[in-house]
Amino acid sequence: MTSSLSITSQSLADQSVVMLSVAGRLDANTVSQLERALMDAQLSGYRVIVIDLGELTYISSSGLRVLLAGRNNARKRGSTVMLCNLQPAVQEILEMVGFSAIFPIFASREQALAAALTPSDHEH
Amino acid sequence: MDVRETSLTIPAQIDQLNVASGFVRKIAEELGFSASDLHQIELAVYEACANIVQHAYAHQLNGQIHIMVRAEQGRRIVITLIDTGAAFDPRTIPAYDPQRVTEADTQVSGLGLFLIQRMMDDVCFESCMSDNQAGQSGRFNRLTLIKNL
Repeated sequence: MTSSLSITSQSLADQSVVMLSVAGRLDANTVSQLERALMDAQLSGYRVIVIDLGELTYISSSGLRVLLAGRNNARKRGSTVMLCNLQPAVQEILEMVGFSAIFPIFASREQALAAALTPSDHEH
Repeated sequence: MDVRETSLTIPAQIDQLNVASGFVRKIAEELGFSASDLHQIELAVYEACANIVQHAYAHQLNGQIHIMVRAEQGRRIVITLIDTGAAFDPRTIPAYDPQRVTEADTQVSGLGLFLIQRMMDDVCFESCMSDNQAGQSGRFNRLTLIKNL
């Protein structure tokens, strides 16, 4: 079994929101891709970074660490990281490690985008 | 009881972790574990092997991980990981606390171990001594992971 991860970045709305669509396996071999995408999004000055995990089939502790680091770095810059569209197995892991309490998590991209455009609704 | 034992040895390297977890997952699939359980078993093996690479061998390139899987039909899977790296005492790692994750920064210690313990029904770490036929002693670590059907 090989590791494979793809990330598609899409600027939305008034250029203040970016959607990162993450597909594949997020583990020690692939995690640098998400790390780089999150860094790029933060340096670009987006107010909200929405990560669509609908096609993410697997996440290891390396992936969890990068999500947490991305969230913490974004907060330091005054921006927010949201997650949406989680598959059940990934959602189970995020709940287990307590991330569901610190990330705004939405069932769909549409719900996440609606919240992203309403700044006061997604402060965690 | 129908019991089948299978083993695999991999180089202790990060790019081999998916080989180990995929190997165990395939056997667990044949035993009839649910999709959720399969994901948990795969993740536990991945994290356990990652700990061996990072901590026991400290990324030395010549280490190996021996994986033995005992498939007990209708009952459970028993996964044993053996390495000859530095002794590992899980008590020395600060425990990950999901209730306090908001206080954590980028370095989250104990997360892999936390996942292993939550994913499996039984986890046992041992640091052992063995004697070979030449009368030499060797030390090894043995980690046993058990998931019940």
